Amino acid sequence: MRGNETLLDFRTSKFVLRISRDSYQLLKRHLQERQNNQIWNIIQEHLYIDIFDGMPRSKSQIDSMSGSLAGEAKREANKAKVFYGLLKEPEIEVPLDDEDEEAENEEGKPKKKKPKKDSMGSKSKKQDPNAPQQNRIPLPELKDSDKLDKIMYMKEATKRIRLGPDNLPSICFYTFLNAYQGLTAVDITDDSSLIAGGFADSTVRVWSVTPRKLRAVKSATDLSLIDKESEDVLERIMDEKTASESKILYGHNGPVYGISFSPDRNYLLSCSEDGTVRLWSLQTFTCLVCYKGHNYPVWDVQFSPHGYYFTSGGHDRVARLWATDHYQPLRMFAGHLADITCTRFHPNSNYLATGSADRTVRLWDILNGNCNRIFTGHKGPIHSLAFSPNGKFLASGATDGRVLLWDIGRGLMIEELNGHTDTIYALKFSRDGEILASGSMDNTVRLWDAVKAFDDIETDDFTAATGHVHLSENSLELQLGTYTSKSTPVIHLHFTRRNLLLAAGGCYSPF
Amino acid sequence: MASPKTLPKDAQVMIQILKDMGITEYEPRVINQMLEFTYRYVTTIIEDAKIYATHAKKSNVDADDIRLAIQCRMDQSFTSPPPRDFLLEVARQKNQTPLPLIKPYTGPRLPPDRYCLTAPNYRLKSLQKKTSSSAGRITVPRLSVGAVSSRPSTPTLATPSVQSLTGQRFTVQIPSSQASSTKSATPSTPTVQNVLINPSLIGSKNILITTNMVSQNSTSDSSTLKRKHEEDDDYDAL
Repeated sequence: MRGNETLLDFRTSKFVLRISRDSYQLLKRHLQERQNNQIWNIIQEHLYIDIFDGMPRSKSQIDSMSGSLAGEAKREANKAKVFYGLLKEPEIEVPLDDEDEEAENEEGKPKKKKPKKDSMGSKSKKQDPNAPQQNRIPLPELKDSDKLDKIMYMKEATKRIRLGPDNLPSICFYTFLNAYQGLTAVDITDDSSLIAGGFADSTVRVWSVTPRKLRAVKSATDLSLIDKESEDVLERIMDEKTASESKILYGHNGPVYGISFSPDRNYLLSCSEDGTVRLWSLQTFTCLVCYKGHNYPVWDVQFSPHGYYFTSGGHDRVARLWATDHYQPLRMFAGHLADITCTRFHPNSNYLATGSADRTVRLWDILNGNCNRIFTGHKGPIHSLAFSPNGKFLASGATDGRVLLWDIGRGLMIEELNGHTDTIYALKFSRDGEILASGSMDNTVRLWDAVKAFDDIETDDFTAATGHVHLSENSLELQLGTYTSKSTPVIHLHFTRRNLLLAAGGCYSPF
Repeated sequence: MASPKTLPKDAQVMIQILKDMGITEYEPRVINQMLEFTYRYVTTIIEDAKIYATHAKKSNVDADDIRLAIQCRMDQSFTSPPPRDFLLEVARQKNQTPLPLIKPYTGPRLPPDRYCLTAPNYRLKSLQKKTSSSAGRITVPRLSVGAVSSRPSTPTLATPSVQSLTGQRFTVQIPSSQASSTKSATPSTPTVQNVLINPSLIGSKNILITTNMVSQNSTSDSSTLKRKHEEDDDYDAL
């Protein structure tokens, strides 16, 4: 018992209780009248009473915020400024096509016909006060292949379907057969061309979703023979003999609990119960690096949206930030009281959200490792997180079946979405942030109206000052649809660039 | 599932324990797994305690011996993560250093080669004369995969992985074929496929997996698990 860390944490740290000043006075007077010093001593020693001025909270408000293992978050914990805006898109010259002659522009400006060399965007858009500086954290610059990817992304974005309560997305479900409950992690690339599954038998399998097969790069002897100046050199370096629908990657020592594709589709990360994170090349389909740092199972890993950085979180209650070219982590985020089950980057790559078994969600600043926000309110370990595409909001899902929506800027809970009956393992916002999809162990995918949930929070400054939560009771109104599969829990959701929803799960076949 | 009346007594006890801990849904195999774990744990502790008792020249196993056995085994296999204040201190130090700048135009961004798994982990044995290769097998204690390589560097050893709960496991690193950026690699002479397995490692689950990978990787028809002293012609280069 002495060595158990959770117990030690309980005994040393104080449970935080938020109470209004009037209620606190009442409590104090009541205890002093009764001459009951025992309780008062316990309170002094083990509770931290965070007093706020103002109206006491109603029971439902208290219920919604409680649940964390260490009580609620202190008010100072959520006061730091968070830059939740998005980074500016870089200027890209789009070559003139026959069909579309759009030049890359900052958002909102009228399109020009010819691409211009000098950036017209520097004067147009003022720095968003909520966005971090471009060079706040070092980010890799764009290579030519990345610029081509961005152009493709822009083109796909123009063909994107706008979703809404009257225009729900179609859902395409990928079921992993013959996995025998061994499917533990799934990831899909941003352009939806590859799907990877991590399994309990310590393998990682990659499939191609498109008709194009997976090819490995030729061996070194053959590579020296090809003509490097030819137009299709990128095709020639591929070895046709190795074309196949799927590839299997061996190397881990235990079940693979998290996978993540890199944004440029060159690398795949996987983390497993053996405590390592492995980087695989998707051009040779072999393991390149094994990052050892956690000595305990690693539950989740994710590449940053700009590539190069990735985070991992595991049983040792620490989340680490790594870069692919450093064999040791760059940052360590300690503070959780129990395992970290889920780690997600903010779209601007400056912040990291971690969900943990101690039922809190913390937002960390990558630049200096500080914890900027603590969100309490879940009643069970948190298993999924999702940032909205505009970077302002965070959704979290836990074993209690509730999805909670948080305003990052103000540090408040906005909404509580009830409906699921079992653990929520997958959360994803649609590409423009209008719909939130959630998938859970109860074999359903539910769609929620995100626009409606977020649009009525701008008004209330009073709530922001006191930190109270005003939950509207209309989570049923926000639910747009429930789609059940027969017996397949949903463990991953992904919106394609055109707003088609892909879901993935392993078929449950008891025998 | 057998009805509770016909189950052996320790299975009934295990069911009761699970019920007391609040676990209501579980597959029937879980009881067997828990019983196996219990048996193995208890026998390990008692064996350790017996060793400690004989070391202390006692004829009977004492409660102190059991306590010592439990503690030693706990420190060895059931370690728990470091305490929170230690983690906070380490994190504070780590987070003080600024984030390193990113060099532009570097190709694949990987750690220095000694931290990657991209090196070959075999060493080519010089070709013996075809007539007399009857010298005994030279067992190289690492798994080798024939691959075209331009680097005659020292092979990387199989490194034991970190402690896991169920005994030692060896991670054998399978080298990748050279990363795609090696267009300048000079092709070496067609290599000999030397695949040797240290017999003492056979039986570990990982070796089985890795041999599968070896046989998958190799495109040659000959079996990859050949012994050294067989003729070394007819090996196909990968």
